[in-house]
Amino acid sequence: MPILQLQFKDKIISKYRVEKGKSIKIGRRDTNDIVIENVSVSGRHAKVEWAENGGFMIVDLNSTNGTFVNDKMITTHALKHGDVISIGKHRLIFGYVKGEARPEVEEKTEEEGWMEKTMVLDTEEHREMLAKTAEELRAKITVDKVGILSYLSGAEGEFPLTKKLVKIGKDPANDIVVGGFTMGKVAATISMMPTGYQLSYVGGMTKPKVNDTTVKESVKLEEFDTITIGSLKAKFILKG
Amino acid sequence: MVVVESAGITDVGCKRTGNEDCYLVDDSMGLYIVADGMGGHQAGEVASRVVIETMKSYMERFQDGSSVEELEDEDLDLTREANRLLASIRLANSSVFSISQSKEACRGMGSTVSAIWFTGDSFVAANVGDSPIYLIQGDSIETLSVPHTVIAEQASMANGNAIKIDEKFRHMLTRGMGVIETVDADICENQCFNGNTFVICSDGLSDKLTPDEILDVVKDVKPDKACQDLVDLAKERGGEDNITVIIVRVKKVKRGSGFFASILKKLGLS
Repeated sequence: MPILQLQFKDKIISKYRVEKGKSIKIGRRDTNDIVIENVSVSGRHAKVEWAENGGFMIVDLNSTNGTFVNDKMITTHALKHGDVISIGKHRLIFGYVKGEARPEVEEKTEEEGWMEKTMVLDTEEHREMLAKTAEELRAKITVDKVGILSYLSGAEGEFPLTKKLVKIGKDPANDIVVGGFTMGKVAATISMMPTGYQLSYVGGMTKPKVNDTTVKESVKLEEFDTITIGSLKAKFILKG
Repeated sequence: MVVVESAGITDVGCKRTGNEDCYLVDDSMGLYIVADGMGGHQAGEVASRVVIETMKSYMERFQDGSSVEELEDEDLDLTREANRLLASIRLANSSVFSISQSKEACRGMGSTVSAIWFTGDSFVAANVGDSPIYLIQGDSIETLSVPHTVIAEQASMANGNAIKIDEKFRHMLTRGMGVIETVDADICENQCFNGNTFVICSDGLSDKLTPDEILDVVKDVKPDKACQDLVDLAKERGGEDNITVIIVRVKKVKRGSGFFASILKKLGLS
């Protein structure tokens, strides 16, 4: 059975055996199994117990200052050998005695509805397998082509469209600033949608043009389209 | 500001005893969400409800202008609004995850989420899972969401070299809310235009009707009638799953005032 070692700074204060079926209560009140007398510890702060599907778990009991495991605040957490539980300024180190068998955490058995269409894979092994496959799938899906505006006039070089929404207009807060009396504060936007890039007219007297056709609302951009907004002219290219 | 006409409906379907879908239609916030829960023992109901409630209360905090802390992990490729919606999704994921870890009956529960938020004169659409978000413009319907299913990810690969996946995994989700500590939502944003009609639904609908059929039912029909028509059609075709639909039609988009817009306003011409 594993052990919880209570420490303050580097001093070991005491050790407690953790057993299945017995919950260990931790807090400031002396009705707890592990009593920590410190103002930053709540009366009933946390407990450690055994859960069929999760092994030994630490559960925070809505404490004022929270319960941390390896410096991360938790509400519940399945304990692994070596985990450091922090309660106030004290620490509880959870560990299995060398040579002792660690309890088997039961895999979730196939229950009815497991094959249900919208179930997300549950058991560790299956989820890993799927994660690995999904990774491979995603890597094979050729890196999504990124759109680029290649300036023809009004500016130099290229502007890569990595943002999901690129704002163009007179206002300096825009991603691409184009001056002009008749230019709108935000004149147009280029948006990266799942179906491709779209250019939309937002406001101002000057309307954008794609291949010399005025855009009154929105248009899907095709590669090599020429976009004109006021003094800015650029070619839309896909790079992947 | 976007003025809309909206409607939402949920139906347990023909075969199920419980409804694990949950949805939100909030015109005052411009927030519309569908969550399709899953998990044994009705845990799905808990998951989808937690998603909706968490996102609703998080987004409400920004409405009343109360002070808002800087968003952690802000994605610089997204606008502030998109980051906000993403943050609400991440928070909802954490909520579902922590509940699933703490309650025996909730172990393994999860949910999809598909949401649209109207802000200013544009919209942000985000999703995790396989509940689709469609945008109807004129006579065309396009899918704004990205399906997170094994079969879809397989299909979007380059031809050939398909990795053999066991039959039983093919319909499974590759991402869900509450499954692991973190979540990776797909998101997109764009301007809104008069006449744009958004449809968010659970797969109880999209598995029964093709996008074109949805387009035919929704086009030119008032949202509340179209919602009912869609549910009826899905049930006619079997209705094995819970069915949820939200329809939002943009009636008017008031764009931010530029110099000329304000002049025209002053002259009473706008």
